[in-house]
Amino acid sequence: MVKLFTLISLTPFIILSLKGFGILPIFGFFSDLGANPIETIIHATGKWGIRILMITLLIAPIGYYTQHELCKKLPKPLGLVSLFYILSHFLSYALIDQGGDIKIIIVDIIETPYLIVGWAGFLCLLSVGLISFKKLQPWFNKNRSTISGIIYTAAVLGVWHYYWQTKVIELEPVLLAILMILLTGWKFKTSKNKS
Amino acid sequence: MSIKKSNTIKSYEITSESIYLERRKLIKSMSVASAMLPWGMTLSQSTKDDSYIPTYKRNSIYSTSEPKNSFEDITTYNNFYEFGMGKSDPYQNSANFEPAPWNVKISGEANKTGIYNIDDLIDSNALEERIYRLRCVEAWSMVIPWIGIPLGNIIKKLEPNSKAKYVAFETVYRPSEMPGQRKRILNWPYIEALTMAEAMNPLTLIAVGLYGQDLLNQSGAPMRLVVPWKYGFKSIKSINKIHFQESQPKTSWNIAASNEYGFYANVNPEVDHPRWSQSRERRIGNGFFGAKQPTLMFNGYQDEVAQLYQGMNLRKYF
Repeated sequence: MVKLFTLISLTPFIILSLKGFGILPIFGFFSDLGANPIETIIHATGKWGIRILMITLLIAPIGYYTQHELCKKLPKPLGLVSLFYILSHFLSYALIDQGGDIKIIIVDIIETPYLIVGWAGFLCLLSVGLISFKKLQPWFNKNRSTISGIIYTAAVLGVWHYYWQTKVIELEPVLLAILMILLTGWKFKTSKNKS
Repeated sequence: MSIKKSNTIKSYEITSESIYLERRKLIKSMSVASAMLPWGMTLSQSTKDDSYIPTYKRNSIYSTSEPKNSFEDITTYNNFYEFGMGKSDPYQNSANFEPAPWNVKISGEANKTGIYNIDDLIDSNALEERIYRLRCVEAWSMVIPWIGIPLGNIIKKLEPNSKAKYVAFETVYRPSEMPGQRKRILNWPYIEALTMAEAMNPLTLIAVGLYGQDLLNQSGAPMRLVVPWKYGFKSIKSINKIHFQESQPKTSWNIAASNEYGFYANVNPEVDHPRWSQSRERRIGNGFFGAKQPTLMFNGYQDEVAQLYQGMNLRKYF
């Protein structure tokens, strides 16, 4: 069951790859990455990264109320899938869009406020990903509240990054922002109950 | 507006019999081929280079030798929020738009105001091709072979008076045909404007076609502005109102976010957008691993337009 959900969460990436190699078995307009392929890749990986991260965070309240067994097993693989998307998002920006030139990347990030926010969120998520290895499991379990704090910070920064780069107000980042406020509220409420 | 239409038939326009028969054969073979295509392909796209009757001439002074973007890139990737906010939305959502018949209302500080048919406004014998760079405020760019006439030629006919300091343009408002207008993305109808000096500059073009054929709906049919030294959003599409006035008009993007989009909106690598850099741009069609290129002052049209802004603080008047 966990494997099935993981596979589903990777479907957008598989479709994107098929489009990239031009082997999606659909004819017509949507069979490739369009006139600006690198933009298509950066946007798709970024959007799916934040969407899956939000789903990962939503599992906690669902599990809290339903006590479903799956809700204990899913967050880690889904969180890692989200990191995988965000990593692809960052790498396709850094290595392809900016040509891998460190100087240019640093200048671009400094000049572009929403990139600073996105970069900070990515570092948060990456740090959690790195300490989720099996060997660090006991340490990971001991510091669960700190870790979930870092993940929440990553999600807030990610939604902010998404919202900030749109030219006009778009529906999805607004919905994600509302969801994020609700999730943070719930988190504070339940953590207060515990203490 | 039909680009191919001409009042006088010139000798080189008369098709010889051999070409005529060859063409029939070609059309026949294409219709067979198109019947075998799965879907999503149209014949008009495969005949896009069908420009053997030159009723327009290339203006080599106002052209560039840089490689042109493909017809497909130009017509499937652009911003036209009247049809939606995605780059492929104009291509996908503009099929129901009716660009003919087309009238334009001329008003304000001019002697020849009134309602004009597009054919009375644009002399189809004077059409010329100009290959211009287009730089979007979002830091991507294209090279597009437009067909059109200088805006100045139209303005001269309309005889603006001495009070006319600015010329404002409006995009047609048709929510039933333009799904983007059903949402409050921007303050519809879309409005753009130029100073008279900018409007009369020989570079400023009213385009009715590209790649030798009529503008498609997604590109701003039947007539649009092309101001190559300014960010793309200044080049307003599907124009049905032109107004001459003394005060500076309020323009759509400036109303939406005045700190981000100024009235002038000249391409300027030195003045960044508050949220992103304008120093470099991605040329569409340069390939997956194509590097970004430096953005040029006035999009490379410095010689033609720099004198318009002499002594002006371009950081303040961005």
